Amino acid sequence: MVAPVVEAVDLKKTYLLGKVPVNALQGVNLKVEKSDFVAILGPSGSGKSTLLNMVGALDKPTEGKVFINGVDVSTLNDNQLADLRRSIGFVFQFFNLIPRLTARGNVELTLSIADLAKNERRKRAEELLETVGLKERMNHKPSELSGGERQRVAIARALANNPGFLLMDEPTGNIDSKTAKEIIGLVKRLNKDEGVTIIMITHDQQLATQAKRVVKMLDGAIVKAVDQL
Amino acid sequence: MKVGDVFSYAFSAIRLRKLRAGLTTLGVVIGIAAIVALLAISQGLQATITDQLQSGFSTDTLIVSPGGGRLFSGVGGGIGGESSGFSLVVNDTQIIDEIEGVVASAAVIQETCFVDGAKAVGAYVVGVDFEVYSEIYSSTFVAETGEIPLNPDNDTVVVGKRVSDPWENGTTVCTVGDSVDIVWINTAVRPPKNETHVASVAAVLEEVGGLSLTGPSDYSVYIPIGQAQSFFGTDGCDRIVVKLASEDDATIAAVSEAIEEAFNGQVSVTSATAVLDIISSVFSTIELFLAGIAAISLLVAGVGIMNIMIVSLMERTREIGILKALGMKSRTVLAIFISEAVIIGVLGAVFGIGLGWLLANVAARVFTGGGFAATTGQAAAAGSFVINPVITPTVLLGAFGFGIIVSVIFAIYPAWRASKLKPVDALRYE
Repeated sequence: MVAPVVEAVDLKKTYLLGKVPVNALQGVNLKVEKSDFVAILGPSGSGKSTLLNMVGALDKPTEGKVFINGVDVSTLNDNQLADLRRSIGFVFQFFNLIPRLTARGNVELTLSIADLAKNERRKRAEELLETVGLKERMNHKPSELSGGERQRVAIARALANNPGFLLMDEPTGNIDSKTAKEIIGLVKRLNKDEGVTIIMITHDQQLATQAKRVVKMLDGAIVKAVDQL
Repeated sequence: MKVGDVFSYAFSAIRLRKLRAGLTTLGVVIGIAAIVALLAISQGLQATITDQLQSGFSTDTLIVSPGGGRLFSGVGGGIGGESSGFSLVVNDTQIIDEIEGVVASAAVIQETCFVDGAKAVGAYVVGVDFEVYSEIYSSTFVAETGEIPLNPDNDTVVVGKRVSDPWENGTTVCTVGDSVDIVWINTAVRPPKNETHVASVAAVLEEVGGLSLTGPSDYSVYIPIGQAQSFFGTDGCDRIVVKLASEDDATIAAVSEAIEEAFNGQVSVTSATAVLDIISSVFSTIELFLAGIAAISLLVAGVGIMNIMIVSLMERTREIGILKALGMKSRTVLAIFISEAVIIGVLGAVFGIGLGWLLANVAARVFTGGGFAATTGQAAAAGSFVINPVITPTVLLGAFGFGIIVSVIFAIYPAWRASKLKPVDALRYE
């Protein structure tokens, strides 16, 4: 049996806000299989970003375990975690592109972190930017691109290392609704045509309906899971 | 991530903040320039002084002077040691000539005098045996005009170049065939009185140059040793110069020891090599001191680098978070920050060395500059000093390496902090 792409088991996370402990996650179980498209829906403060950080190996849970492709994340050291993150494609609400690099430079950076040779990097970056429809704008810096274009660059970057899954944190939270539609169309196409596994966090009910599956969160726990297929 | 990629990423980060990076680099430039300039000048000065000494100094000669353990005792008052009351006499050359390894020796009697001419010129009157002295100093006790008489009569003198032409402008006080009045103060009688000796100039020596400590000098009037003995009413002499069969260290050591033994430790023997060694060790100390002072400015630059990198670290916290989310290892983040310091260090060192070399040359020119030196008689009397700044490969490499090392050392802490940032915290950073 193939291990799920992501599996969270009884995940708990407690932050200290000053001296007050905050239970951001209170025992979350989640399983995402290959080629799935899961939307995690919930109001702010529901713990969805915390869950995303755990699943993206950016943070460690207080209790419980995260398995990525069957590997227990808690057993990995700093270097192994870095390697693991290369197999995760992050797309952030605020794009998080490196401002001084061009669209292509941003994609190439990810590839250079993964030690790809220079000429291959260039070729692959151009292909990826073409996939997201930015071939004509790839020599522009983020400041010269619109919000939607920036998010496309971010998606191209996330796809650069053929990740096991895309982890999207409010990917349309910062762009207008028309562009948001285009972006979500792109995401759906990637999921459908290329079989890319997608986990998307959003507080937008409308957007969540586009996913195959919706998981609703409230106060650090999953309250409802809906299969939309 | 490959080394080349790390550097090009670091370079792109530096290029983004040109003014800031430029000012940080300027700190390193100033530090390195100070070190290079000071060392280049002091090494140039050392080279000049050594050169000048060597020109008036033969390495195959020894100087025997009275007083055990005294350094430079033949010159002026001497340094260190107590006068034992022992003095050398002219005939002591016979004892020295017996010693193996000695080719010749000459007694020297020296007094301060004036040469009366158009103007009174300060000089030394030096009594030597012309024949032996010219054998010992065969390259410096050489006539430019006239001829050094081997069996001079009592009224014959040989004068140094600066006695003949004290202002270096062709206005001569005396030339060959002239009769000169040599005036000195006779301290043997009470009260001391001025004595005048009228003599004719048989030869003017070639310019010796340099700061002659013991050998022939441009500021001396040479009279026959017998004449000096009768003038000063003494058989005693100030020093005896010895020519050796060989200039190797073993001969110098063996002969020095034999001479000291022959006089029962009442004389000190100084070799040209020893004097040069002392001068070079004095200069090493001075150089170390100067380099130390300059190094402080480089340390200040290092603190500047650290400061700027900590500020930059705060500004780039989010960037570091992104890089880590993209799968960059902590050690690569460390390498990027260190590389930025290396780039600053290399640029600073290269420009610093260039600037330092420029400063050294400008300073040397000001120091030796024509107008400055020629206007005062003092400068002329001290000999014309030309400093050519010297940069040795050691200084070059040292300055280069030091610039980079200081930059890197001060970057280690900020770089380490950057590498230790947790991705989740870094990404959340506003």
